[in-house]
Amino acid sequence: MAGIRELRIPILPEEVDSLEVGEMITISGGVLAGRDAVLPKICALIEAGDLGSLSRFLRGGVVFHTAVSLAGVGPTSSNKIEIEGSFDVLSSVGVRMHLGKGSISSETVSALARRHACFAVIPPVTALLGEKTRSSKVLAFPELGIEALHLLEAEGYPAIIAAVNGRSMFESGTNG
Amino acid sequence: MDRIRVIDAVAEALVTAGSTYSPEKMRAYERALAVETNERARWALEQIIDNGRAATEARSPLCDDTGIPHLFLEVGREHAVSDDLIRFIIEGVAEGLRRLPGRPMAVCGEGDVRLAQAEGMYEDPSMLEPAPMAVRVVDEDVLRLSVLMLGGGPAIRGRSFRVFHRHSARVVKEQIVEWAVEATSQLGCTPCTLAVGIGRSHYEAANLMLEAQVYGNYDVQSDFERQITEAVNTQGVGALGLGGHTTALATFAKIGPARASGVRIVCFRPCCCFEPRIAKVDLAEVMGIG
Repeated sequence: MAGIRELRIPILPEEVDSLEVGEMITISGGVLAGRDAVLPKICALIEAGDLGSLSRFLRGGVVFHTAVSLAGVGPTSSNKIEIEGSFDVLSSVGVRMHLGKGSISSETVSALARRHACFAVIPPVTALLGEKTRSSKVLAFPELGIEALHLLEAEGYPAIIAAVNGRSMFESGTNG
Repeated sequence: MDRIRVIDAVAEALVTAGSTYSPEKMRAYERALAVETNERARWALEQIIDNGRAATEARSPLCDDTGIPHLFLEVGREHAVSDDLIRFIIEGVAEGLRRLPGRPMAVCGEGDVRLAQAEGMYEDPSMLEPAPMAVRVVDEDVLRLSVLMLGGGPAIRGRSFRVFHRHSARVVKEQIVEWAVEATSQLGCTPCTLAVGIGRSHYEAANLMLEAQVYGNYDVQSDFERQITEAVNTQGVGALGLGGHTTALATFAKIGPARASGVRIVCFRPCCCFEPRIAKVDLAEVMGIG
């Protein structure tokens, strides 16, 4: 569709810097999927300097806040403590986009800007996302089941940029 | 055989609830899209509508959070409910969760282990127990079961709390609007349908909130419901929090009995853009006794 920017993973810092709040995008490539249970564990690995081979998936990566099950995928609220609390640490090792739903705090918006990362809202359209998910596999913490860290092969996930470059659509006056 | 027919009918109702918008809901979305001028909100509404069409066609989940089954049984005067029938209904829910398929969300263990989710979840989606059933006696010649699938996001943002009404319905409405504005700005899965139950205890209010979802109608709104919806929609949260005119499609409210006191207990749930996910089946008809 005209006016929709197509992003492919890995995403470069300068690509993030060129995005604008409210911009519609599509995302293709290897998207990481994780939520409340696994993201704090990934952050603990980062803080312990023990990320190992996972680092190549995080650099330039996109983290989609979802479980992965036979029911499909769809965003959970990104403003849950365990999820929003992961943004800064994950961005510090090169995650460029956090993909979910709900509003995030101004502190998180600022932290994302410092890291050349952004937050995008993906509609909770599980049936449509199923048509755009080519494959999925578990990357880490398989004992967490549907909440394990998964790698999804995405082809054109729709999203809209909600926070980037220190601005967000959750500021008053930008949401009208 | 009643058992097999009931299980199949309940299972199909659950699949329908998890995969299909009612015609009234689709009309409500079409009305919202027709008046929406915000480009981002129009995009979000179109995505939500298209998702409904795709899920209905495939009979696949509208949302990956397929929800916790809640059951509402209306019993007509000439009908009896046996323990066997209740067991068949429960079996039907399990079968429906396998067919949809439901997201495997039943947590293993008991007590502290279950609370901490320390032993993970069952892989079988049918391990998810339905919530305790709500029952009403009705005048119609029916044995009608409503299957509702309640997701987690609205549960996080909902609440049950006392309201000191100061002998004014306006005070109660304003409190509901205040909660709704806060909840919808955080939820992400808007436009909501605001479900409200008002009673004398927290249990009664929650039960009435479920009833409100069963009887609520997008095409026919009471003044109480319409005033709440309109007040919430002035806030501009909009579809998926992207702004625009429609934060709430409607309000479904059930005002129950009142205690002679200065307090009302209000249970409020900001049902997400796919909810109420509901389907109804007349079990009397299924069993050939209607």
